[in-house]
Amino acid sequence: MNTLSDRSRDIGEFVSQPGDEMIICRCEEITKGEIRRAVHEGMFTMTEIRRYLRAGMGLCQGQTCSKLVKGIVARELKVSPADLEPATSRVPMRPIEMKVFANENEDEDE
Amino acid sequence: MISYKADVIIIGGGIIGCATAYYLAKNNISVTVLEASDYIGNGGSSRNGGGVRQSGRDPRELPLVMYGIRNLWPHLSEEIGVDTEYHQDGNLRLGKNVHHREILQGLTDRANKVGLDVRMIDGDEVRKIIPYLSDEVTVASWCPTDGHANPLTTTLGYYKTARKLGARFYTGVKVMELRKVKGELRRVLTDDGSVFEADQIMVAAGYESRKLLGSVGIDVPMTRSLLEALVTEAEPHMFDQMLGTADADFYGHQTKHGSFVFGGSSGFEGFNKDNGTPMTSSITAPAICRGIMKYFPDLADAKIVRTWAGWSDKSADGVPVLGRVEEVPGLIVACAFTGHGFGIAPAIGDQMAKLIMSGTTDIDISALHYDRFKAKI
Amino acid sequence: MPLPERNDMKRYDLIVVGAGPSGLSAAIEASKRGVKTIVFDENARPGGQLFKQIHKFFGSKEHKAKIRGFVIGQQLLDEAGKAGVEVVLNATVIGLYQDKEIVVKTGDTVHHYKGDSIIIATGASENMVTFDGWTLPGVIGAGAAQTLMNLHGIKPGKRVLMLGSGNVGLVVSFQLMQAGCEVAALVDAAPEIGGYGVHAAKVARTGVPFYLSHTIVKAEGTDHVTGVTIAAVDDHFRFIPGTEKHFDVDTICVAVGLSPMSQLLKMAGCRMSDDPKRGGQVPIIDGHGETSIPGLFAAGDVSGIEEASSAMIEGRQAGIYAAEFLGFISKTEMDNGEEKLDAALDGLRQGMFAPKNRGKNIEKTEEGIDISRNLLCRGFIGDDEIERFPGVTHKAGVHPVIECTQNIPCNPCQDACAMHCIMVGKVITALPAVDPSLKCADCGMCVASCSGQAIFLVNEDCGDGTATVTLPYEFLPVPDEGTRGRALGRNGQEVCDAEVVKIRTSPAYDHTTLLTMSVPKEFAMKARFFKANA
Repeated sequence: MNTLSDRSRDIGEFVSQPGDEMIICRCEEITKGEIRRAVHEGMFTMTEIRRYLRAGMGLCQGQTCSKLVKGIVARELKVSPADLEPATSRVPMRPIEMKVFANENEDEDE
Repeated sequence: MISYKADVIIIGGGIIGCATAYYLAKNNISVTVLEASDYIGNGGSSRNGGGVRQSGRDPRELPLVMYGIRNLWPHLSEEIGVDTEYHQDGNLRLGKNVHHREILQGLTDRANKVGLDVRMIDGDEVRKIIPYLSDEVTVASWCPTDGHANPLTTTLGYYKTARKLGARFYTGVKVMELRKVKGELRRVLTDDGSVFEADQIMVAAGYESRKLLGSVGIDVPMTRSLLEALVTEAEPHMFDQMLGTADADFYGHQTKHGSFVFGGSSGFEGFNKDNGTPMTSSITAPAICRGIMKYFPDLADAKIVRTWAGWSDKSADGVPVLGRVEEVPGLIVACAFTGHGFGIAPAIGDQMAKLIMSGTTDIDISALHYDRFKAKI
Repeated sequence: MPLPERNDMKRYDLIVVGAGPSGLSAAIEASKRGVKTIVFDENARPGGQLFKQIHKFFGSKEHKAKIRGFVIGQQLLDEAGKAGVEVVLNATVIGLYQDKEIVVKTGDTVHHYKGDSIIIATGASENMVTFDGWTLPGVIGAGAAQTLMNLHGIKPGKRVLMLGSGNVGLVVSFQLMQAGCEVAALVDAAPEIGGYGVHAAKVARTGVPFYLSHTIVKAEGTDHVTGVTIAAVDDHFRFIPGTEKHFDVDTICVAVGLSPMSQLLKMAGCRMSDDPKRGGQVPIIDGHGETSIPGLFAAGDVSGIEEASSAMIEGRQAGIYAAEFLGFISKTEMDNGEEKLDAALDGLRQGMFAPKNRGKNIEKTEEGIDISRNLLCRGFIGDDEIERFPGVTHKAGVHPVIECTQNIPCNPCQDACAMHCIMVGKVITALPAVDPSLKCADCGMCVASCSGQAIFLVNEDCGDGTATVTLPYEFLPVPDEGTRGRALGRNGQEVCDAEVVKIRTSPAYDHTTLLTMSVPKEFAMKARFFKANA
């Protein structure tokens, strides 16, 4: 499952492009340029992009943007998007209030 | 398959490995970091609660973290080119009853003995610092020089900057074995048949270090424990302090982003099972929520967007194993951080780099030596 | 150490997550075999996307072809009720944990459930695409537009531009017009239409222009969409300067594909693969839909994007597999139960649009006929292309003209004709052929049966210089007999004057009105839609 990745391999310099200012992750307001720059700073995986920029870490947890981010990262790395492992999925599937998550006892509904 | 030679090889691309690589690369030492997973900082480095604490620490590791807080954390953001979100606004360890007061008093006394400013304060004083805390809180220990930071950006910032300075990083490469050449540790054999060579090899691979060290006849008594944490959506700003409790039912802080990052426990951490990946259990997050709400009734409506789990590498005596292994020339070890490795990581990186470059450290780490473990009778 | 406070774990033989077409189908088959089953769905009503589908489905009888989606949904609910399936609505499964445990949120409580088997049938979510202004209010997913229109009775906008020419984009464009919206254009960056040609043709003939090899440059507006600019793209999807076109629209609908909602499976630790042919990240499953975790199955779009008909069959199969896994039926009983389903599923997975053919460039039909280039690139068949297809024949008197030119798995027309004029044959993807030697009763059943609205009844020469063309009409208001207007060609352009001479409705037509218009006879093979004079 794990694949050797040389993080020093040459993917070229970051050069800004038209469209870099476009917002990709709406929840966290992360732009295309920020994502592209992060790749050139060494963030070669969806997981690292997420941790570094917070892209896909907002309320929707990447439901909308994860494919978009993946496409951008793949283009910068010159690989197919299918070759990039998506970031992990985690509980909860939908945001849940603390008081609800805490309330495991059915009989005490309040 | 690759064959590669560097001055130093670091096994483990977590914050310890990345920070050490950074301080080495900054001094023009050629260093290669090998990370088994596909991701930099994939262990505790990206799964901890972000505390940069001195209070509550064992006196054996306290000098290191105090050194880091004085010398490294304040300017780390500029140094590694990320916002580490470091806040030095104090740590409150909260208590609700007499039993808690005893625990907190003990911690405070021990801290004072080694010269750390920790005070006992009462409930009203606590609520002057954080007005949102419930009346149940009657006591706290207060360490004004503690704080918190963002483990994700800090870890990746060290990586990014080390990489920029020429440190080589390989992910997805699992080290299977350490090998000596003519009595000195020189080689690292990986799962894909690659061989990496260096004059000095540092093992900073968390719990996995134990197996690796075994290949050169060294054992570090540790076990692992699956800890869990959660994060809420962004909320209006409430407080800047790092929090913990005497009862250890939760810990955490509010981030710059506005979200709350809280860790906590169900009581079964040491016995949680996994399927090879760190998985959350169904009972822990609800338990953390109940813990938090007793202290912060206002957070009842905050929405949790994510939960996660991570293994901590628990040493037999609760503090890390650090430094040279004289029995195996060329071997340096930094592991068994026992769930409190993040805040101390810059100091570890800085001091390990010094150790590798000059053979000595500024801070006395002899109490953390690998051979300290003896049978009790 | 104090035990955490918690409710007793509830146990079921089978837990199904998702009460859409596949989940309900799975629960039905399992329940029928004695499996104690519970279904959770986060929505307020069951049926998944079925209740938004007001169009007739494709396929053959066993796939419930020519039945409208929402009717299939109701049938499925009735069947579930009879089978005693317990469906819990407004119940969000927030996590799938080890040991096949789920945590479900209902109201202000969470509940723990364990299943000896679990079927994940969570479906899919809509993809998005970015362009300048894509975050403006007024840019919405096609699925969202469908929800607004068909579940809530709300028009998404007055004038809409649709991006995406897959079946979703085509079907929703048609539905937008049915709801009374104007569709300004249908745009796709690909050089060819992605969905069924018949879906495209029924949109194109109403006058909606198709812009293939075009995409959106920007959505205009400050606080909501007020317009859109599109431009042509080259082979590398780069804009070609000077080709910009502007449309005044208040809504941009995006239909650029679906992604499996496989997060629960991933978090549970199932082995996953990223498969563009399946729409994204899907669990690796065996021939029985079982994931790498024994007893944990996946069915429907979550294991690969297809459509509701195949999702229902996959669901039924998963229900049967789970029943066998749980020991309620023997292997032989399982094999007997699912043999027919296998054949049915296989039938749906044939033809040009089969999952296995995705991304392939198909130039000829299975019969060896060149596919209409106009249909692929402009959304309609050229008048000079139509004659080569076996559904298009000529004879005196009323006869069917079937403009079905791609191999799709569908054959209701064959059964609709009591006179046996129409022949699809055993291979349900074959193009329907009309036998001109047999008499046409002009009953209209074939017209109403065609889910693609591709069948017309034509009398090419009524003897008075006119011809009549009967077409399926699914818009309101239905024009009265005697209404004068213009006939539109396949390309949506006006071709001649026309007068409505007959309006037929019938329960057997299932809400499709048959409109017969009279046109000058030279337009018999050109006039395909009616537009009343203003």
